[in-house]
Amino acid sequence: MESTLFSLAHGFAIAFQPDNLWYAFLGCLVGTLVGVLPGIGPLSGISILLPVTFGLDATQAVIMLAGIYYGSQYGGSTTSILMRIPGEASSVMTCIDGNAMAKKGRAGAALCIAAVGSWVAGTFGVIALTVVAPPLATIALKFGPPEYTALLILGLIFLAYMSSSSLVRTLLMACIGLMLGMIGIDNMTGHFRYSFNLTELGDGIGIVPVAVGLFGLGEILATPSHKVIGEVIAPKFRELWPSRKEWNQSFWPIGRGTLLGFIIGIIPGSAHIISSFLSYALERRVSKNPEEFGHGAVAGVAGPESANNSASTGAFVPMLALGIPTGPIPAVLMGALMVHGVSPGPQLVTDHPDVFWGFVASMYVGNLMLLALNLPLVGLFVTVLRIPYAYLYPLIIMFCIIGVYEVNHSIVDVWIMLIMGVLGYALRKFSFDPAPLVLGLVIAPIFEQSLRQSLIMSNGNYLIFFSRPISAGLLIVCIVLLAMSAMTFILKRKDWRDKLAEAEAGEAQQ
Amino acid sequence: MDRRSFVIGTAACVAAGPAFAQGAFPSHAVTILVAFPPGGANDTVTRPIAAALEPILKQPVVVETKAGAGGQIGAQVAATAKPDGYTLLSHNNGISGYAEVDKLFGREPKTKRGDFIPLARLVADPVLLLVNDQQPYKTVKDFVDDARKRPEAIVYSSGGLYGATHLPVAILEKATGIPKLRHLPTNGGGPALTALLGNNAQISTQALSAAAPHIKSGKLRALATFGATRSKVLPDVPTLKELGYSAEYYLWVGLFAPKGTPADIVATLSAALDKAAESEQFKSVVANLGVESSYQNAKDFAAFWEADAKLSDEAVQLIGKQA
Amino acid sequence: MNLPSPEKRMILRADHVAGAAFILFGCAIIALSGNLPVGALSMPGAGFLPMIVAVLTIVFGLALVLRASAESPPFAELDWADGKHALQVTAITAAATALYEHLGFIVTMLLTIMALLTIVERRNAVRVAIYAILIVGGTYVSFVYGLKTPLPEFGF
Repeated sequence: MESTLFSLAHGFAIAFQPDNLWYAFLGCLVGTLVGVLPGIGPLSGISILLPVTFGLDATQAVIMLAGIYYGSQYGGSTTSILMRIPGEASSVMTCIDGNAMAKKGRAGAALCIAAVGSWVAGTFGVIALTVVAPPLATIALKFGPPEYTALLILGLIFLAYMSSSSLVRTLLMACIGLMLGMIGIDNMTGHFRYSFNLTELGDGIGIVPVAVGLFGLGEILATPSHKVIGEVIAPKFRELWPSRKEWNQSFWPIGRGTLLGFIIGIIPGSAHIISSFLSYALERRVSKNPEEFGHGAVAGVAGPESANNSASTGAFVPMLALGIPTGPIPAVLMGALMVHGVSPGPQLVTDHPDVFWGFVASMYVGNLMLLALNLPLVGLFVTVLRIPYAYLYPLIIMFCIIGVYEVNHSIVDVWIMLIMGVLGYALRKFSFDPAPLVLGLVIAPIFEQSLRQSLIMSNGNYLIFFSRPISAGLLIVCIVLLAMSAMTFILKRKDWRDKLAEAEAGEAQQ
Repeated sequence: MDRRSFVIGTAACVAAGPAFAQGAFPSHAVTILVAFPPGGANDTVTRPIAAALEPILKQPVVVETKAGAGGQIGAQVAATAKPDGYTLLSHNNGISGYAEVDKLFGREPKTKRGDFIPLARLVADPVLLLVNDQQPYKTVKDFVDDARKRPEAIVYSSGGLYGATHLPVAILEKATGIPKLRHLPTNGGGPALTALLGNNAQISTQALSAAAPHIKSGKLRALATFGATRSKVLPDVPTLKELGYSAEYYLWVGLFAPKGTPADIVATLSAALDKAAESEQFKSVVANLGVESSYQNAKDFAAFWEADAKLSDEAVQLIGKQA
Repeated sequence: MNLPSPEKRMILRADHVAGAAFILFGCAIIALSGNLPVGALSMPGAGFLPMIVAVLTIVFGLALVLRASAESPPFAELDWADGKHALQVTAITAAATALYEHLGFIVTMLLTIMALLTIVERRNAVRVAIYAILIVGGTYVSFVYGLKTPLPEFGF
């Protein structure tokens, strides 16, 4: 522990060198830009700027590139809150309650809470990374296909808390999402499924086009401008800051989201995507007022935003400690390190202490920098809402198209977005909530693959899920959750949905 | 499935580019399409070569990611691009096998090898036969003996079906005569390595550069290399050829031009590439990646590709027969 | 929401239509899955989970239809007042998508924004043109110069 502190002090000495500070700032700035502009995610942002770092030494390069990464995580919530465009999968949940808050004139508060939540999560993540990285990293390796399967079953159970529509509607939406998620080449056998001979569908349907279509475009289609005339949603400048009540409401969600996100972030693979979904469902499960969710619940912004940020820090644990990239972005960073002659892996800390500790320390500094950068920007971003709606929505449509196109440079994705927009419009007419559809889409490919991988490992024996401690533990949690819901249902014959219906009926009477 | 003819917007538009490519080549920016997502070897080696090409061609060289469907999307877009030398493709082993795999499933092949002109091989990374530290095997013989006895107990991980880390196992199975092992396909080289490290798979065939840090830390053992010669980084690891098994396989990254590109432009490009490969920047990146036998010019690469593709076809057929 | 009247008359309700759509979708999936191997429970094939999900979709769709008369408003009462707006915006966005890779970012987006504002919103053409040029120019500069990310060009 003492040696950790000593090394960290050494790291801070490196991070505070003026040129390193400058590169951290540059990275954060570019990262924020990458996050705010739809389409270019951290992935392309980092690889486009990779050649720029060829002239730098390894420490400077990784400081700057990591700055882009976590900077983009901060910026990602901006378009979700202001325009209901989720720039990437992890901000889908933010756009539901974040945008609802914006409609109530609380856009500034939502952005501030997202920034502060991200900062708390980022800083906690780095502390955890400093202290517990090596032992946690070994657990990451134990997380194989059976554990994944169990985690996703838990995710499917949490689905019930995703939406305020009836259970049948939620499950129907989830089924459609799962169906869409199975489009594309089957990784286990090589069959093309429902791809109608389009190579673009070979990889399946992306989350971004679907989410942008259902949430962003769908909303615009259902909102003609004459409906919003006279309605000013831009807040006054002194109302930008969250109120005391809003801070109180976001305190525990930030804490829970941070912890949940970090743990899920460590898991290798694409688990970090579901961290924000799980956090949202968790907040709704524990909330005293679950009926507020979807109508601008503060916890619905604070939880998922913190979760996705600490998940992105958690993803560094296996990368730095074991040299395993847990997702595409750590993979790019690892590539960048290798290009600079530093091979990440178990030897990284001993072979290149300057790189490792400089990097860790710069993350503390960078997170603070980002908070300082983002809070003043809130005022600027909110002015976007001063544009009259009739002028604003063409701008949003433009952003939807670039955002979706730039992800894969694929026009097919834009068509998917358009179809999903029309579907979102129709779903709204028939009072369906699209959020479970997106979760289904996220879960389907990972669930199917890990289930089938597990069965390959066990030669078709389902006992594998109960014979491994982590997956058995997760499955027990699932059973307990199901039992609890069954109990409440039997005892009270009434769950929160009925309360919600009552509340709505009460509102209607007034 | 009905086999409607289709035109992909992207491809069609690329082909419809304006014809101001007169005069000396190149008169404007050259685009290299990378068929794999950032973070992979293709992206990592293509960006420095693009940067080194710029001063030689005296035009910007833009790297554009066209990833998806195991590299097929990029290959398809490049194959239908206007063959004027302004659109090049960075691809890997995968480009050899698509037609054969499509044949296996009774599908119309979308791209064939003949759709591309090889320009240069940027790197070639020998594949290693790896086991994790929980396995008893010390030599290839130990492994082969055990695999003969209980093939159903051994799981190998790969980065994807018919991919560059799946085919070598099929080649090995054929060379050693062991029965079919259980295959755990994952979503890429990284996940396949993770499965091996976590003992969710017992063996795997992975590129030297990716596996080297884990071999150094003792988590993985290399039983043999698929390279023609022993590696300088791992001089104690025998080649499969030394051990009497005829198996050779590399993970390589190459640059291609679409079929129909004029010969003089191909010559200009390959000369520029030969020069760019000599640049400090490119050489240091390749050295840092831990890759050895690497650059080949257009002529050598064409011969290498021919032989390599034959191997790949055989391996695909072998896997198809077993399935 | 209008609560339906207690006596059960045969009225076509929103959920009848929605449920039928889901049942059709599930059937379509099963019809399209003909050549995918289903495999066994111990070794699911490519068609295994799609089949399960398709069957579930049909079951839930049926549930929706059966409960429709208690839970959903009559189909005829759905409000389609925003339909014209939705149709116009969809058509313009579709045109933009079709042209995007041919006309490039600048031209397509200028046309799209101007079309939306003049045709759908009936705003003053001069102000619209200025607005469109500012927005498209600003976005182009931030992508191409700020982030070195190429956007589709004319003719490409």
